[in-house]
Amino acid sequence: MNEDLSPEYGPRWSDQRVERMLGALVCAVVGLLLAMIVTVLVRAWPSFSHNGLAWFGPGGSVDEQLNAIFLSGQGGAEYIYTFHAWPLIWSTILITGGAILIALFSALFVAVFIVEFAPEWMSNILQPVVRFLASVPSVIYGLIGVVVLVPFIGNHLVTEGQKESVAGIISLTGYSLLAAITVLTVMIAPLMVSIFSDGLRSVKPGWLEGSLALGVNRWRTTWKIGVRTARPAIVAGTVLATARAIGEAVMLAMISGSVGFAPNPADGLIFIFEPSRPLAPTIVKNIDQLSSPPANATLFAIASVLLFSATLFSLTGWLARRSMQKYGSA
Amino acid sequence: MRIKSLAIAVIALAGLAAPASAGAVTLIGSGSVAAQPVLQALFATYTKQVNPKVKFVYTANGGNAGVKDVQNGTSQFAGNARTPLPSDAGTTYIKMFMDGLCLDVNKKNPLKNITIQQAHDIYRGLITNWSQVAPGGLTTTIDPVGRDTNGGTYNFFLQAVLNNEPPASNVNALTADGLVQNAVKQDPNAIGYAGLAWQSGVKPLKVNGVPCAANKISVEPLKYPLSRYLFIVLPGDGSSSPPALKKFIDWMRLSPLAGEVISKAGGVPAFNKKS
Repeated sequence: MNEDLSPEYGPRWSDQRVERMLGALVCAVVGLLLAMIVTVLVRAWPSFSHNGLAWFGPGGSVDEQLNAIFLSGQGGAEYIYTFHAWPLIWSTILITGGAILIALFSALFVAVFIVEFAPEWMSNILQPVVRFLASVPSVIYGLIGVVVLVPFIGNHLVTEGQKESVAGIISLTGYSLLAAITVLTVMIAPLMVSIFSDGLRSVKPGWLEGSLALGVNRWRTTWKIGVRTARPAIVAGTVLATARAIGEAVMLAMISGSVGFAPNPADGLIFIFEPSRPLAPTIVKNIDQLSSPPANATLFAIASVLLFSATLFSLTGWLARRSMQKYGSA
Repeated sequence: MRIKSLAIAVIALAGLAAPASAGAVTLIGSGSVAAQPVLQALFATYTKQVNPKVKFVYTANGGNAGVKDVQNGTSQFAGNARTPLPSDAGTTYIKMFMDGLCLDVNKKNPLKNITIQQAHDIYRGLITNWSQVAPGGLTTTIDPVGRDTNGGTYNFFLQAVLNNEPPASNVNALTADGLVQNAVKQDPNAIGYAGLAWQSGVKPLKVNGVPCAANKISVEPLKYPLSRYLFIVLPGDGSSSPPALKKFIDWMRLSPLAGEVISKAGGVPAFNKKS
């Protein structure tokens, strides 16, 4: 640290220089981000322009379309771009939505418990455990899913009658919505818990004390004042978790199943055992096709949809937080 | 102080990397998962017993992906489990050794033999129940498991069993031979396919009455119906490859020692001289 105090230190790192340097750094980062978005959109454009809005709609088998796209253009034939991504989008919505819903409620209650009700020794243990869980790499969750959860669902929960009823169309082997949602929930809930509890902890103590002093019981105080004040943090945590869930590729590629099938809630209970493949794992599974120009455009189109939805989520999160800020800061 | 420790760290890292460039060669390859166990054994033996200056880095990302790596120059060689396709332009295929693609079922499945036609019908979704394969066995729904399109094994299966028709939508496509093996091991109703080196914990079926075993693997004359060559893929016509790589390939194809390593690791030597 002695060198920091040397006479050179002052003039070399004057405020002006630091300001300029940091400014340049920020510009570079923003520029990089813009360049990335532009690249993705430009590469994706052929796929969107050939399909129009039908890109997002249902129609035919996605896997056959992807295969036809990849094989097209060999020997000078024309490129094929026809692609209807609905089964992939529907699978993303089901898996991400299901996991976020379950994780939101469980994480909220866990956070309230850790901050308000748990004895100190317990929250001292839970806190680091939750933070550790939030940083476990997703491949590990995927491995546990493949080795433990998938065979359990396939061999014990799915009945022979259910398998027979869809035989020849899809296999109910445990690679399913249920497995994907369960593991994804376990993966994102700790992230939510740690952000929620930070929010709950930063509620002004005076507000809670005031309520308690008026004779309101502890649960009601926490729920009506603590949780309500911490709503911006809850939105922020949910948005962050959603972004992670939507972009999750490796773990879902391992356990969600590998067919571009749209699970149908009208099928009844079987529905949660049906396999599907969300958008992000589709990119992982077809990564070797990047050398074919139409397949390249299609994969970049999927990427741009993911990028766009992530942007949309952070925007809505920001808007929601802004309108809630009047209840207090968090 | 901070800058100094940073500099020390950089020098230390460079120091770690330095011995690799001192006269030694590192050969970078990727591709076939089916060939991986045998290749890794060959690499280890070559570095230990033949030429300690040659090191290998091999990423098993699937044979088709490996050929792409060779085409765009990120790999110096690739392993592949299928014969060349038109899309492989600009590469050379050299036969390394032979392998059999076994059709595997769970150990709880009493089935012993399967025909190519039955396998075709299962993977095309025409047969969906084990009772349609053989009477007196399981009466449950079949769970077919296969490889995804990254694998050369997928293409070999497509050509040898499916007559180049795509697999049905009920086939669960997994990313590696080990995952197929794992899925068959865990599911009593499953059927899968994987190379000879991936047969622990599962039960290989006889195909058209011929067992999937090393002594039956032969391409000319064809004995086991799903016998195949595993190939090493080089860029161009192979002449631009580093001499160290060429020497390794000759050793692997011809030396008796390599033959022993290949059969121990689950492959079948094709050209190696008997010791």
